[in-house]
Amino acid sequence: MSGARKPDCAVIGAGPAGLGAALAAREAGLADVMLIERDLELGGILPQCIHDGFGSIVFGEVLTGPQYAQRYVDRVEAADIEVMLDTMVLELAPDRRITAVNSRAGAFEIEPRSVVLAMGCRERTRHQVMIPGCRPAGVICAGAAQRDINIDGILPGRRVVILGSGDIGLIMARRFTLEGAEVEGVYEIMDSPGGLSRNVVQCLHDYDIPLHLSHTVTFVHGRKRVEGVTVAGVGGDLKPIRETERLVPCDSLVLSVGLIPENELSMRAGVELDPVTNGPVVDESMHTSVDGIFACGNVVGVFDLVDWVTQTAEAAGRGAAEYVLGKKKTRDPIRVKPGRNVRFVVPQLVRNLGREVDFYFRVQRPERAVRSDVLAAGERFYSRKAKMVRPPEMIHARVEASGAAGKAREMTVEVVAHEE
Amino acid sequence: MAAAPGKRPALPASAAVVVVGGGVIGCSIAREATRYTPDVVVLEKESDVSCGASKANNAEVHSGIGEDAGTLKQELNVRGNRMYDDFVRGLGVELKRQGLLIVVTQRTVPPHGDMPEDERMELLTVKIPEGIIAYGEKAGIAGLRALSRDEVFRMEPNVTREAVAGVFDPTYGLISPYKLTIALAEHAVVNGARVFLDTEVTGFRVEDGGVKAVVTGRGEIETPLVVNAAGVFADEVADMAGAGGFVIHPRKGASLLFDRQVTAEYVRSSVAEFKLPGQKTTQSKGGGAMPTAEGNLQLGPTAIETGDKYDTSISAAEMEEIFERFHYLLPDFPRDALISAFSGIRAPTEHEDFLIEASEAVRGFVNVAGIQSPGLASAPAIAEMAIGILHDLGMPREARPDFDPVRPAPPKFSELSNPERNRLIREDPRWGHVICRCETVTEMEVVNAIHSIIPAVNMDAVKRRTRTGMGRCQGGFCGSRVAAVLARELGIPITAVTKDGEGSPVFLGLAKEFLRGRAG
Repeated sequence: MSGARKPDCAVIGAGPAGLGAALAAREAGLADVMLIERDLELGGILPQCIHDGFGSIVFGEVLTGPQYAQRYVDRVEAADIEVMLDTMVLELAPDRRITAVNSRAGAFEIEPRSVVLAMGCRERTRHQVMIPGCRPAGVICAGAAQRDINIDGILPGRRVVILGSGDIGLIMARRFTLEGAEVEGVYEIMDSPGGLSRNVVQCLHDYDIPLHLSHTVTFVHGRKRVEGVTVAGVGGDLKPIRETERLVPCDSLVLSVGLIPENELSMRAGVELDPVTNGPVVDESMHTSVDGIFACGNVVGVFDLVDWVTQTAEAAGRGAAEYVLGKKKTRDPIRVKPGRNVRFVVPQLVRNLGREVDFYFRVQRPERAVRSDVLAAGERFYSRKAKMVRPPEMIHARVEASGAAGKAREMTVEVVAHEE
Repeated sequence: MAAAPGKRPALPASAAVVVVGGGVIGCSIAREATRYTPDVVVLEKESDVSCGASKANNAEVHSGIGEDAGTLKQELNVRGNRMYDDFVRGLGVELKRQGLLIVVTQRTVPPHGDMPEDERMELLTVKIPEGIIAYGEKAGIAGLRALSRDEVFRMEPNVTREAVAGVFDPTYGLISPYKLTIALAEHAVVNGARVFLDTEVTGFRVEDGGVKAVVTGRGEIETPLVVNAAGVFADEVADMAGAGGFVIHPRKGASLLFDRQVTAEYVRSSVAEFKLPGQKTTQSKGGGAMPTAEGNLQLGPTAIETGDKYDTSISAAEMEEIFERFHYLLPDFPRDALISAFSGIRAPTEHEDFLIEASEAVRGFVNVAGIQSPGLASAPAIAEMAIGILHDLGMPREARPDFDPVRPAPPKFSELSNPERNRLIREDPRWGHVICRCETVTEMEVVNAIHSIIPAVNMDAVKRRTRTGMGRCQGGFCGSRVAAVLARELGIPITAVTKDGEGSPVFLGLAKEFLRGRAG
């Protein structure tokens, strides 16, 4: 019916994924690109990530989160992209119609010719990992604590136990310590750390914060505010060993127990999700199962490095531009299968083998002296050796497959033992 | 202007009726009492109404079919259920009558050698459903009907293939118990009542065998009529007046709550597995799987005796027990959609039945005790009975002509059409600022909650009124945003914002504060 805006591309979320996608779509020839962000500023989670470690792949230098974000923000501001801040997308329909709301324009609809989903991820919460006990104030997720401290300047805890050694948990152990809080320890249910090795060294070892592997929290104490937690060692089945339980007094339990891609809008639009990544099934241009809807970054699967988020965003932005400009050839996709010791692969589908394809995958279990291979139609298109692979560290493979692979119905990504 | 924590209005010198306890029962009785006198006071020791069992139950308006025949519980439950539509009219709280499906399964009567199989199937598919219906009809429950196996699956496709028959009870309902309690309290206030939070009763002045005054930590209120609706503390409150003689033994009930986007249609009615009388293992009716008033699926509750009236913890074993119990009824249930777990404390007396009577020892003192499930369903009938007793004790019998039948309720953004939303946003741009993304709650709704008739002065109180933090991210996104609005609207520092009253600060300091005074 309506006088709804009909942009070439609407990007939902202006974190690193949305920024990169909007820019790539614009640079690939789309005139009218709209970037919708619910927060008051661009950058998503990056402005609160004041530690360094960003940008080594994309820029070849080490930046903080705000610095990394600013490079894209500056380009977006110079690129004639319509930015809508403080705007919440309420609905996304299968025909790409968006309903959004803000304080200035009210509730309104947009009918974009393409959509890029870039909503990122959210933190897994206490009950999703079934931590029993009372429900006092002081049980918080690490990312929320990071925002409280780094953006709002408020301290959510003074004597802190951290559960989970994912990267955010490790970084917050250091951050709380630098703020003068006591970090009693980081407890990790698995027998190896959940975060990058460099963060274990720089955030825990350098500050003498103990890391208790194969441990978990079995009870939260305190009626009004956390007064302590019971911790216990776990056996090989990850079940707590009751005899090892002990009470650790604290006023806060900070959780770093995983991230979940934020796909509520994707589901409403009918986008097919991969049950392993919890994100949309995509092809190499990040096209989802719904015509004209693309996805990139952590909404597709949780990445370790922002650089890879940016790479997927650029693929999605280019893909959306090709779709709108009618350049994209559609052909039956080749299915990419996780092979030996591979938990998942993004993208799950490949349509166009004429050019380089970036694969991102995680192993199921740590393994030494291995080789990552990409195979199709009995041919090996990619092979790289690694001394050690671990589930927390995503593997990136840039593959150029052509020729015989074009006739294949499926490709396999596998990690195999490598003979010296 | 909402009262900031610590700035409380002074107690009145006297009142016609004082209700002790701001749960669903106390607030129901208070609201009903204001039909006859505006001079009603409610005293609640927590920072909000609905802080005990009224906030932590399965939201069910039972029909009475699960209660023992001949009990006051069953009588008031059946009557309360019938009264409910009238009871909630004008409150702005929705009652849904989604019905109860009682499922008869293969294990209701497992195969055994002594019984031929055709006889067992006739028992399961004919005699047991007929027996359930006859039992319910005798109690006065209307509309019960037997369902075949296929009808069960058509009604609830996710129920176990072990189901063989069912009975549908269309009178079963759902209502948000805390929204109802808040609405009743506010409706009472609209009609003249005063509700005092953070006000604990410490004793009573009793003279010449009759109650004269209620004593609190903040002073006395003279009154000839006291209603003891103190839930798990009702025995202690009665003893303070010398009107006791019963014991509340707290019994914990834990439930699990699931993401409504994933589980909204998983069951449409309340679903419970039928157990023969000998198969019940606890005092609980056995619980079920049911949507909440807002569409989340919930499983529970458990029934565990606890010595501690404050023990709302939930153990790993309880969580596992719930999953295990419902694994049979709903075999493919999406466990991963778990977003929260909670427990509430039931307040049974040693006799297990409701205890609603004027004290013989202390004139003017009315005990409304032992209220456990189906207390929510029975609330209208319990209040009616209590009002009858208060009339007999001297409360005016004549209905007030100026009683206002409507409690004003602010709009809910998520339930509005876009034109309605835009009208509000033009009035105040805060209607366009979404603060809670999972439940689509705007800043203006939080502001309205803080300045409502019973002001929400902490995070949990805002949550009960607006659903901020009740979604799948459990406050990860909205938590600090709601805290900032609370601080601004109440005029308090952010470090004074609490989760649920004194002793529960959300934040412990400002950046760099812990470093002060340290060397170097």
